Amino acid sequence: MFKLKLLAMDNPKKIIDIIKNENIRPTPGWVFTAKRLLTWSIFSMTILLGSLAFAVILFTIQESDFSITSHMGHSGVEFFLSLLPIIWLVFVVIFLGMAILSIRNSWKGYKFSLLKQVSISVGMSIALGTLLFILGGGKWIEKVYDVNVSSYESLEERKQNMWSRPDEGYLSGTISSIEDNNMTIVDFNGQQWRITDLESSFIANAVMLENGELIKLIGESEGDNVFSVKEIRPWGGRGNNRGINKNSGVRGPLQ
Amino acid sequence: MLISKDKCDKLTDRQMILKALEDVDYFTCMYLRYESQLKRYILKISKVTPQEAEDILQEAYIKIWRNLNAIDPSMKLSSWLYRIIYNQTISNWRKKKGAAIITLDEKVAQTIFEDLENKDSEEINDRAVQKAINGLPAKYKDVIILKYFENMNYEEISDILKIPEGTVAVRLNRAKKAIKKALH
Repeated sequence: MFKLKLLAMDNPKKIIDIIKNENIRPTPGWVFTAKRLLTWSIFSMTILLGSLAFAVILFTIQESDFSITSHMGHSGVEFFLSLLPIIWLVFVVIFLGMAILSIRNSWKGYKFSLLKQVSISVGMSIALGTLLFILGGGKWIEKVYDVNVSSYESLEERKQNMWSRPDEGYLSGTISSIEDNNMTIVDFNGQQWRITDLESSFIANAVMLENGELIKLIGESEGDNVFSVKEIRPWGGRGNNRGINKNSGVRGPLQ
Repeated sequence: MLISKDKCDKLTDRQMILKALEDVDYFTCMYLRYESQLKRYILKISKVTPQEAEDILQEAYIKIWRNLNAIDPSMKLSSWLYRIIYNQTISNWRKKKGAAIITLDEKVAQTIFEDLENKDSEEINDRAVQKAINGLPAKYKDVIILKYFENMNYEEISDILKIPEGTVAVRLNRAKKAIKKALH
């Protein structure tokens, strides 16, 4: 019995001898704490970056007129799709992937199923992204990106291209004069346009029709810088969809 | 000087860790307390000889010593030790040696019968269940071993295999279905 006990003690003795002889020490606790902190920092950072990308997407949606697709032919829709914030969608997916990976590698990350990991990351990104969008973070980050990344075509630039195609029925510019049923605008290329058929056009509620106001128009080019307008919308966003037809007699400075 | 088993028995797992961090000789206690069950576990998950199991245990205990400060206080010490042993065995030995052939004792066989809710249990012999378990894919077999042979609960299995408890339940359920299917 005593011999057996001695044999049993033989193995731990070997281990203790190795530890002592090779002077093996336990890794300090702070190393593990630092690793955990690093994992959570990476998670927080990726969630923040994903949220910023999501805020830009919200900003882009706000600035886009999705309702105009109904006016467009195939090539117009194609062009419109190019306005979609693909790069920001890619960013959101990348950062979400990184956030999920950091949860998986966190201390207790294995406790969450993949569905929970995805839900947590997506939920946090959407909530924070919406908050950042409300606070103007989407617009700000888009601008910062535009200034610092030369190859990046900003939403504003893409939008200007989209709305500078009078031959296809899309025109935009600043109102330079407005009198009764006559309006002139100056487009982004500095050209002056006479706008006709104002009285029968649809004007979104947000449009004030004042000098200096930036607007976008849907209609038809009649040549010689004359544009017959069907719809007038504010430059920023889609305006209020409760816009009215001038003939209905509900609203309008031209009445 | 090694610490006697009697002295070790008086310590809780937590006290044992704290004492070991102060005095390496107390690390003996951790070995003595879990050696037999960990060695038995190694032999169940990998086709190694008892001597090789000793070697795995030794390598794993050096790793345990190095990571003694990483122990999660919310996790049972035994779960943490099983996790290290499992990883050590899988990564270094099971690939080379393959999975072990499990032998079923009467008590474990009875528990599995009951859990399978098999009405024809009298007709099924231990050997058939044993064969069915040994024919399971490794990920199902790992869960069966921890549940029925090591008497671990879902939380402990989740901590050892680093998978969500829901996944433990799913794997266990699928393993049982596969055993049932193999029996008929």
